Amino acid sequence: MADDTAAVTTAPPQDSKREAIAFFIGVAGWLVPGLGHAFLKMWGRAVMCFVTVGLLVILGAGMRGNVFSSSGNDAFDTLGFLADLGTGTFYLAARSLESNGADVSHAGGDYGTRFLATAGVLNLLAALHAYEAARGRKA
Amino acid sequence: MSAIVGFKLDHLQSMLLFAVLISIAFGFLSRRRPIERVKYIVWSLFLFLLIGVGIGWAMYPFSR
Repeated sequence: MADDTAAVTTAPPQDSKREAIAFFIGVAGWLVPGLGHAFLKMWGRAVMCFVTVGLLVILGAGMRGNVFSSSGNDAFDTLGFLADLGTGTFYLAARSLESNGADVSHAGGDYGTRFLATAGVLNLLAALHAYEAARGRKA
Repeated sequence: MSAIVGFKLDHLQSMLLFAVLISIAFGFLSRRRPIERVKYIVWSLFLFLLIGVGIGWAMYPFSR
């Protein structure tokens, strides 16, 4: 009886190793868009993630969208920062690209803000997808 | 790289660009076979544009 309980509560070492690798792949996918899928040899998805997130960041910063910082004034700024942070290292690229600051006085700037936030959320979705694929879920 | 900063797109161009990029990303992430991906991308793009233009028209009476 005691052995049965131990078998139920203790995960096999292989599973915990797989879980750790999946977590690493998820984090890698977040830090560098497409890297998680590249580790899994899903080349099409890896290239798509890198190019799409990269283009959205370049276009968003090019349109002078708002790249939120951690020193936000309200909840919306914090949410925007979290969404932008989803692009991983590309967040730093967006900040360096937008050296003149945001200009949301015209529609382009507003669209740019959405492009940047979408790039972050899309990258988080892709990283989650890579994590699930590494765990063995259907992807 | 600084040359790309500050370009301007109008509403329709921005929406088209956004819809194309996101449709491609969704197609690649959610489907595995190429033909299924193409179908998904086209359908998703169509819905993006239809709903975007639809919402634009729905908001038109309140814009002035």
